[in-house]
Amino acid sequence: MTTLLTPPAKSEQPSPSLGPVKKPKKVGRWILFAVMMIIAVIMLYPFWVMIITSLKSEAQFLAGTGFSWLSWSSLTSVIPIGQEVLSSTIVCSASILVILLVGLPAGFAFSKLRFRMSTMVFLLIVSAMMVPLQAILMTEFVNMTRLHLTGGYTGAILVYASLGTPFSVFLFTTYFRGVPDELIEAGIVDGLGYFGALWRLVVPIAVPAIATVTVLQFIQIWDDLLVGLFFIQNTSQRPITVGLAVLAAGRTTSIPELMAGSIISALPAMVVYLGFQRYLVKGLTMGIDR
Amino acid sequence: MSTISVTTPKTRRLTLKRRRQLSGVVFALPAIALVVCFIGIPIGQDIYYSFTQWDGQTATWIGLSTWSQAFHNPNLWTALRNNALLLLSVPFALGLPLCIAVLLHQRVAGWRIFRSIYFLPTAISWVVLGLVAERFFAYQGTLNSIIHALGFSHFSTNMLGYQSEALIALGITFIFTMVGTNTMLFLTGLATLDPSLEEAARIDGAGRWRIFRSITLPHLSRFIQLAFVMTVIALFSALFSLIFVMTGGGPGYATTTVEYLIYETGFNQGDYGTAALYGLILFVITGIVGVVQLRLIGSNE
Repeated sequence: MTTLLTPPAKSEQPSPSLGPVKKPKKVGRWILFAVMMIIAVIMLYPFWVMIITSLKSEAQFLAGTGFSWLSWSSLTSVIPIGQEVLSSTIVCSASILVILLVGLPAGFAFSKLRFRMSTMVFLLIVSAMMVPLQAILMTEFVNMTRLHLTGGYTGAILVYASLGTPFSVFLFTTYFRGVPDELIEAGIVDGLGYFGALWRLVVPIAVPAIATVTVLQFIQIWDDLLVGLFFIQNTSQRPITVGLAVLAAGRTTSIPELMAGSIISALPAMVVYLGFQRYLVKGLTMGIDR
Repeated sequence: MSTISVTTPKTRRLTLKRRRQLSGVVFALPAIALVVCFIGIPIGQDIYYSFTQWDGQTATWIGLSTWSQAFHNPNLWTALRNNALLLLSVPFALGLPLCIAVLLHQRVAGWRIFRSIYFLPTAISWVVLGLVAERFFAYQGTLNSIIHALGFSHFSTNMLGYQSEALIALGITFIFTMVGTNTMLFLTGLATLDPSLEEAARIDGAGRWRIFRSITLPHLSRFIQLAFVMTVIALFSALFSLIFVMTGGGPGYATTTVEYLIYETGFNQGDYGTAALYGLILFVITGIVGVVQLRLIGSNE
């Protein structure tokens, strides 16, 4: 457990002791490099396709030659990209906020303020990680519609929050177990109260765990299609993935414009990804104990 | 869990303990409520509605006839068969990342840039990757360009258009989408491997393959198990975006998996009761995978 929790910072140091002890022959080194280049080309293929295709007009795309900015300049008239990015941002940030506001106190409770049957309740919540949304899609959809929550963002936010909560509770509980009991006790003796102890003592220590949850959830929610497709019925409040998928499924939109929209949808997640890769890896390997 | 170490009379200590437990319940309550309301209750409803004829408005109890109808429905068997066939992609979705991680671990010049490049597709939505894959497999897409460039100009494919080939195209796309995550997992695992072990083995005269098989692979076993479970779960519950964008479940039902069949049955055919039953089947399948994983982890410790 402890070894898994250490950040992969270790691997980032170019320490020679971590590398192969005996350096392979030079020729082998070059072959290795060539193989890695080929893999890189394959992994970059989607980005290349998106960029190249978006730089063509519909006619140029069909003809297969020529480049222009036409698809980019007409993009906003085909896809309400600004509105869709805004919707994605609202849903994403609100859901993450709920996940944190609900997950942090629960993690504190399950690790430091244990009550009768708290272990069982904890295990039940954590096992909810295994439930795919599709398994409860119909009943969830009908419930949300009956509660009139599918008009705006509320329904989608609640669904994302409830799907993300089990993992965040698991992560925070595991993380807070490492916080010494004495720290909490000292806070209580000082008259902070349990809420004060959580807010003033525990949350500041938990910043790395909060970052992990935020980054993982951001990428998951930003990239998701299913929830937005069903729980946001108002077409003018569609998130960007839904906008793109519906246009693509309709098969009437020009592909260069779709690709331009795809680039815009991919950018925020890529920026977060490259900036916070470390937290993402941490979050993924946390799952090894779930 | 240590008790509060303040010198107080016994009764006061008890109330302190009480207060702590009560705060615990209050703090955990929002999370419990959220999970129960939006995950727990819908599972219960799934069970109830799977015995009814349900159009989303009124539900009439028809007992087991929903079940017998569903199991006589060839579409369910097609979807289950498609899921089973897609399982064949899992060895590739694990094997390729394992190779890539081992290559990255050799730390050739620029390996950190390579690492970022390999992980990058993981950041983008499967909706977008599906769009790109659709372009790749299309009749006028990249695949045919490659085939023609290789000199087979009389030969063209249209994989997404044929019942027998669409599922293969979907499987290949799935493998591609899983490469980043699994490589990341394996690379993290390799970073925790003690290099002196490999060194000792090398001094003892063990070859590269021998070292990989006897030291590296056993060390990675937990990471491989995790990757396996995550991949299988994704296969059953994360393909929706790819299918929605690439094939719409077709041609016919050739790329309809169980999760897509739920959507198709519920929203396109309006048969909510049967869709709830399919949801239950999916729930059981992922549940089994989860239990198997718990067993595996348990047997390791």
